[in-house]
Amino acid sequence: MATGFLTDTTVCIGCKACEVACKQWNQLPADGYNLTGASYDNTGHLSGTTWRHVAFIENPKKQRRLSGDVDLIALAEDVTETLPGNAELDGLGRWNFMSDVCKHCVEAPCQQACPTGAIIRNEFDNVYIQPDVCNGCGYCVPACPYGVITQVPNDGRAFKCTLCYDRQRDGLEPACAKACPTNSIMFGDVEDLKVIAAERVATLHAKGYDNAFVYGTPEVGGTGGIGGNHSKFILMDDPETYNLPRHPFMPQVKVKGAFVASSIAAAALTAVVALAFRD
Amino acid sequence: MSDISSEALAAGRGEQNGKVQTSHHPKTDPKQDEKKGYYGIPPIKRAHWTWQIPVYFWLGGITAGVALFTAVSKLVGKEDPAVTRLGRYFAVVSMILSPVLLIWDLGRPERFLNMMRIWKLRSPMSNQSWSLVAYGNVSGILMLKQAAEDGLLGRGGIARLVARLVPHRVLQVLALPLALFIGSNTGTLLSATSVPIWARNWMLMGPTFLASGVSTGLSFISLVLNLLRTGRKDTHHTLQRAEKVMLLVESGLIAASLARMSRWGKPLVTGKIGALFVGGTLIGGIAAPLALLSGKETRNKSMLTSVLVLLGGLAFRFAVVLAGRKSADDPQAYFSFTRGENAPQPGDKI
Repeated sequence: MATGFLTDTTVCIGCKACEVACKQWNQLPADGYNLTGASYDNTGHLSGTTWRHVAFIENPKKQRRLSGDVDLIALAEDVTETLPGNAELDGLGRWNFMSDVCKHCVEAPCQQACPTGAIIRNEFDNVYIQPDVCNGCGYCVPACPYGVITQVPNDGRAFKCTLCYDRQRDGLEPACAKACPTNSIMFGDVEDLKVIAAERVATLHAKGYDNAFVYGTPEVGGTGGIGGNHSKFILMDDPETYNLPRHPFMPQVKVKGAFVASSIAAAALTAVVALAFRD
Repeated sequence: MSDISSEALAAGRGEQNGKVQTSHHPKTDPKQDEKKGYYGIPPIKRAHWTWQIPVYFWLGGITAGVALFTAVSKLVGKEDPAVTRLGRYFAVVSMILSPVLLIWDLGRPERFLNMMRIWKLRSPMSNQSWSLVAYGNVSGILMLKQAAEDGLLGRGGIARLVARLVPHRVLQVLALPLALFIGSNTGTLLSATSVPIWARNWMLMGPTFLASGVSTGLSFISLVLNLLRTGRKDTHHTLQRAEKVMLLVESGLIAASLARMSRWGKPLVTGKIGALFVGGTLIGGIAAPLALLSGKETRNKSMLTSVLVLLGGLAFRFAVVLAGRKSADDPQAYFSFTRGENAPQPGDKI
């Protein structure tokens, strides 16, 4: 059985409980009091010491208009109804929250890159780094198409989400999913989550949110030889808005081709040097 | 509500051209749609590699070049003992320095032997480690033979035994593809990442690094022979001839690489990295040596050429590694790279 996450960003309220729960359970060190100054998100991105990261996306509409008498209370209470005084909802824009995490690729580029075999797939089919094997070569870092896996400077080794391997072995769900108060983070069998995701997207479409889609499928977000992700997301905007690539690729797909090209070049250069020996 | 009062209201709200401009409603950025991303934070992480890695790439390239010239001189029957000796000793020096540089760069250097736990054909880093082990061992045995011939192992029976028993012809032939692999794999290693500027050029990274490596290797042999005032006259001439063609091949491959990188190759030709690449590699390491090689052959000129080519090769490796850092830090480069059909795909033929 393969386990994974389904992160439904449409119900995320940006409470960061997942970030905190992850840090606490996995005993990850603090990242310092760095203020971005641009948003409520002072974490910024995933790293070797941050395995869950809540992105705060301010999503303004192109047309910023507030016309008529805007009843802010009515606006807050029910945003789908026609607003009193002909106020246009467009004016306020929208907050988007998204709890980012390791995508646990079906074919993981970091695992392909790892020369020590430290990165494995465990019995839950999650991508797991064996901390006692990793020697900190750092080659997995630029290999990851989502910028998840990162070396921890003082430690030297690479770290990322383990999908709470220890908790799963004891039959518990990962700390972030447990802590999530709105069930934005769902944990379970990947096949079950796929069904839940499809149902949720269908519901959203029925409600008029046509832009909802699942990220992490072989069509979007799990492309180019990665074969999909075990951590899927329900998104409401372009993947780039959430700092995610639309069509990521497996960087190692062309290693064989590069070897062939290099071999041809090697033969040609040998011939060039041999010709230079002519009298 | 009358027109006047609504205008006044609009003015009171700071409305201009129908757009609200208050602290809660920041100005609309007209480029919002083009500049996609999340506060400009890079969506991928760059490699941590410090100076050891480009220096190793340079050394690996020189090793490939030296091995190529040594082996070919043997194959065509124009072996120069001075070149063979240099080639055998240098291979061992390089195979000691290279692992030192690579292990230095590890986050946990004491665990370097974990590289030998497995062999993964799809990981250029794994292939690199194993090819260094293989080539290190072969060149170690070849050096033993050379040392025995040079009398460094004494005049006893062991030295004679080593000199006779080492199958140097077989080993020399075996060593050549290994050395060429090391030289080209330095480029392949970079291309098998998510960094747009490297990944885009996956086909030519290996060949370009190899051509540059061979040119620096030829220069290295030439420089050492000149410094030691040794080597036959025809060897020097052959080296210069080969160098000339190799520099032309290298410049052709670099031009093709830049064409292939297209818009994602920008970090390599702009800013400080651009100055290093254009000034150090293209002008200093290729154009100037080619000009120097076209005239009469003198010792001083030859030495200057060699130094320029060697420095140009070093500048090339630093420029490519630094450009990769810049490329990884640019969200727009990565997003545009992964939006359409730009990134390498499993089904791609070329």
